[in-house]
Amino acid sequence: MEIKKIKQTNSRKFIFSTVIFSIIVVLPIVALIFSTINIDTSNFKYLWNNLLLDYSFDTVYLVLITSFFSLIFGVFPAWYISTNNFRGKNIYDVLLYLPLAIPVYIMAFTYSDILSYTGPMQSFLRNYFPELAVFFNQDYLQIEILGIIMALALYPYIYTACRLSFSLVGSNYIDLSRSLGMSRTKTFYKIVIPLSRVSIFSGLFLVIMEVLNEYGAVKYFGVNTFTSGIFRSWYSMQDVETASLLAVFLFFIVVLFFSLERFFNLRYNFHYKPNTKKFKTESPSNIKKIIIHFTCMLPVLLGFIIPILFIIGNVIYEFERIDFYKVINLTSNTFIVSLIASSIIIVIAVYFQFLKRIIKNKTLTVFNEAISLTYALPGAVIGLSLIILFSSFSFKTEVLIGSFAVLIYAYVMRYMAVGISPLKSSFEKHPASYDDTAVNLGMSPLKLFKSIHLPINKSAIAIAFLITFVDIIKELPITLILRPFNFDTLAVQTYEYAIEEMIPKSSIYSLTIVMMGVILLIFLKKIINKEIDVSKS
Amino acid sequence: MKNFIYIFSALLITSCMPNKKNSNEINIYSQRHYNVDEIQYKNFEKLTGIKVNVTKANADELIQRMKNEGDNSPADLFITVDVGKLWQGGDMGLFQKFDNESVFENIDSQLLDNNSYWVPVTYRSRVIVYSNERVKKEELSTYEDLSNEKWKGRLLVRSSSNAYNQALMSSLVENLGSENTSRWSEGVVANFARDPKGSDRDQVKAIAAGQGDIAIVNSYYIGLLLSSLKEEEIKAGKAVSVFFPNQGENQRGAHINISGLALTKNAPNRDNAIQLIKYLTSIQAQETYVKNSFEYSVNPDVSPDEIVQSWGEFKKDPVDLNSLGTNRNEAIRIFDKTGWK
Repeated sequence: MEIKKIKQTNSRKFIFSTVIFSIIVVLPIVALIFSTINIDTSNFKYLWNNLLLDYSFDTVYLVLITSFFSLIFGVFPAWYISTNNFRGKNIYDVLLYLPLAIPVYIMAFTYSDILSYTGPMQSFLRNYFPELAVFFNQDYLQIEILGIIMALALYPYIYTACRLSFSLVGSNYIDLSRSLGMSRTKTFYKIVIPLSRVSIFSGLFLVIMEVLNEYGAVKYFGVNTFTSGIFRSWYSMQDVETASLLAVFLFFIVVLFFSLERFFNLRYNFHYKPNTKKFKTESPSNIKKIIIHFTCMLPVLLGFIIPILFIIGNVIYEFERIDFYKVINLTSNTFIVSLIASSIIIVIAVYFQFLKRIIKNKTLTVFNEAISLTYALPGAVIGLSLIILFSSFSFKTEVLIGSFAVLIYAYVMRYMAVGISPLKSSFEKHPASYDDTAVNLGMSPLKLFKSIHLPINKSAIAIAFLITFVDIIKELPITLILRPFNFDTLAVQTYEYAIEEMIPKSSIYSLTIVMMGVILLIFLKKIINKEIDVSKS
Repeated sequence: MKNFIYIFSALLITSCMPNKKNSNEINIYSQRHYNVDEIQYKNFEKLTGIKVNVTKANADELIQRMKNEGDNSPADLFITVDVGKLWQGGDMGLFQKFDNESVFENIDSQLLDNNSYWVPVTYRSRVIVYSNERVKKEELSTYEDLSNEKWKGRLLVRSSSNAYNQALMSSLVENLGSENTSRWSEGVVANFARDPKGSDRDQVKAIAAGQGDIAIVNSYYIGLLLSSLKEEEIKAGKAVSVFFPNQGENQRGAHINISGLALTKNAPNRDNAIQLIKYLTSIQAQETYVKNSFEYSVNPDVSPDEIVQSWGEFKKDPVDLNSLGTNRNEAIRIFDKTGWK
């Protein structure tokens, strides 16, 4: 009786602390929602009647194209690499992650330059193969091309999820299915894919959110997504309230979509036995080898090698004019803000995941989900919501807006979901019996965390940290609106040159972003591989 | 581990502190992110010892930030590339009027604000460029003529979310009235060679690629293409010629827009700001602008860059520049109604 009581008060304290944290994270959204109450809805109705149908159509179409190609680029290489033995497999496995280091807007600007009439591809053809040049002289600023370009930058979210999941599904199920006479292909579609649904979806969710948030690339390609509607009313109609209302509207659509997915997945919520046997890898036939190489090579070549060669080419071309002092300065700025923000995110996310394990409580679950949802808002809208929030305080706001604290607050809000996602699957993976045993042995929550959860989730924590870090290095819209005076990051500088179409000048900054990302991702890859190996052994 | 926590919290705490107050400085919110601006600020710092702090972002975001910061805003100057945003800021009460007439001294009076809320630093024209191969100069005349059926499938322009297009449409609303402008826009949309997309430079490249014959672009982009380090871009620039519309005897002249700055309502470093404005409109700084960005100088004594001079002189539309802001909402509605994406 006595013990139970202590536990209860303790858990109340914990729940209280998570509620406070969650409120801090979602407070700007609340401010945003409040700012839309009692607004003049005439502009909203106007947009609704004139544009939103078209915008919604473009949004859905772009999401579908990007998702389709992200799945193609992500799922199949992951499957081949998990189940086959072939030369170059380990190199592919690393290279397939690397497009994640290239921000979507850099990918889009780079490709539009490569493909443009004055770009290298068409110039080369004009000079050497004039007949072919006519055929390739096309308008490449099309929604379909944009979808593919975005997929090239975003598919690693799905690849990562699949690699982990396929290795967790393990060979038991696969062997069983094979011995029941199912072919490899059939096993893949009937067993592996359904078992990996949840993780594929979590990767896809990130892809879709990124598509919904993108503004620069989308505008350049003449595509109008829902986010364009938000900026149409803010930038063109000078109506911030309507922009906020649309952002809130978008937010609720995403929440609805997200909850539906949760609801359906709950019905399928089964726990499979984690993998115990090493994956039996197959040595493929020659024809299959060609297919495998093609499948793995395509995303690597288009998503990483071609853009990176183009960027390096530009750096060499501009080399004499590079201000290296500035490059170092911006690199350290970028590094510091990313480090601080991702550390804070990880601390909060780990705390939440740990509490969710030791305290089974509905409120906690709800708040846990709630702090992921800020990911559904475009960066610029998060910036706006913070400006609204801080300017509604009566004290001197200059102290806050335009200070690093607010910038970091905004990053934390925006990327909480990215940090939570890998932690969640890891924390959920381990059986509840661990905790029960520990509690029965009289361990305090802190001890339980330190001696059990921290070690067993170590890799996931590192993964979460690295992924958030890479994302914040690439962040653009929030930094543009909220950064302090004379404070630039690599992303900001890249963007400023890129929109002025000085792609060569921007290249050293984009290359630095990509290199930082690549180094972090190689670390990440090592950790993930260890995870996969551990679950194999 | 403990040390790490100490360092970490120290970093956190210092990050919450505002930038140190320094009376010998000036804070700018700017939409301009051209290299030439950095050169100007550095020269000014050398000359006066006043430190220039800049935050660059989209004009509307900066306006929103100033509005919400209210009296506490640290900004002294707001700089943008579209007069519509300057009008808007003045209309929202974010700026103070210039009572110091000497800031206008060096400036062409046609370019000045009737309400004295803003000062122009450069101007540019939104012109028509045409393919040297497929279009004869005589075929072109006015903006109005762009809705003529003879341009069907031949006209290129970027999207209506672009402020330069919005300013052009606003000027047409002012000159022709809403109804005529709507009809014009319908005709123009019917003549599009493709859906609006890309940047101004992309429209020129599309002419070079043969995807269209004429395009509406800002004048300085042609200068930038012609002075590019890439041979292919120079070629694309050479494939077109610049045409200033509405130059006939009874016609109003080509549409222009300014890049300009305004003094914020509570500018904490007002005197420094005035000094910077005087510097930026001086002959020395104006020459730096025209050489680097191919814009036109607001100072009548400074002539444009050679490339720009080669296009000849032109008559400017004398419409009150503030009307490019007041008509903005109407312009947007015309874009949407007539399907100009």
